[in-house]
Amino acid sequence: MSAQAGGGAPGAAGAPGGAARLAEVDAALAGRAALPRDNGELVFEEPWQGRALGMGVALLARTGTSWAEFRRHLVAAIRRRPHDPGESAATAYYAAWLDALEALLAER
Amino acid sequence: MNPEHDHDDGHHRPRPDSELALRASALEALLVEKGLVSTDAIDAIIELYEHDVGPRNGAKVVARAWTDPAFRERLLDDATKAIAELGFGGAEADTLVAVPNTPTVHNVVVCTLCSCYPWPVLGLPPSWYKSPPYRARMVAEPRAVLREFGLELPSEVEVRVWDSSAEVRYLVVPMRPAATEGWSEDALAAIVSRDSMIGTAVPVAAGPAE
Repeated sequence: MSAQAGGGAPGAAGAPGGAARLAEVDAALAGRAALPRDNGELVFEEPWQGRALGMGVALLARTGTSWAEFRRHLVAAIRRRPHDPGESAATAYYAAWLDALEALLAER
Repeated sequence: MNPEHDHDDGHHRPRPDSELALRASALEALLVEKGLVSTDAIDAIIELYEHDVGPRNGAKVVARAWTDPAFRERLLDDATKAIAELGFGGAEADTLVAVPNTPTVHNVVVCTLCSCYPWPVLGLPPSWYKSPPYRARMVAEPRAVLREFGLELPSEVEVRVWDSSAEVRYLVVPMRPAATEGWSEDALAAIVSRDSMIGTAVPVAAGPAE
């Protein structure tokens, strides 16, 4: 519950193209699919990781895809991905994010 | 990427990420070509997300506490539960403690060990919060540090310094400034600065609602 649409006006004003606010994304992806963070800050080790996140948010807003559906793809991609001990958590996570975006596109 | 150039900054192992970076940009190009996203939209979202979890959440909490005595009581009793009423929370809000300023007590928050911070209500910590001088000196000489922030406290006001940890994080509830009677919650929230919720400033009634 709550979410409250960001308490009214500020949410609508700030979000480009009706994109979800980060709090909504966090809520939708909580648990297995949660965004990597370090003491609260989003972790991007490489610029492509931030762009992967941005692409997802923009694509969902544009296509009206729900975060629940994206989460389903993302969790499946995380499960499918072989564990590579040499790979950081953020790299593995956003690699799965790319898989999920491609799966979503393939479904269209 | 060109292997010859790897020596320049070559303290990393060969970068498996470059393959992922290429995949990401190929995907972005495809999405743009299909007209599903624009590069500008992605830029705007990244920008937005960097600032999204901001101190505005905390400001709303404080404004509510100023206008609703029952909420204030719940906030001081169990801040984690109280902020959840407003839709704020998350893993790192699990053990949030709200400490109220009074005419005789001024609270200020630090994390001497690292940079623990109540980000679900305050967003990302300012860089000075993470700086070693702030972390060390706020405990040793809080009044001097507060003075450098421009906050001169009367000597009869006790300064309490709260040291955050991974387990417990603190939110300062500043005193509501005089001359804000009748202000709306939104107008009040607008004068609650991030620093006033860390304790390095106090809200000033200026500006709105004229």
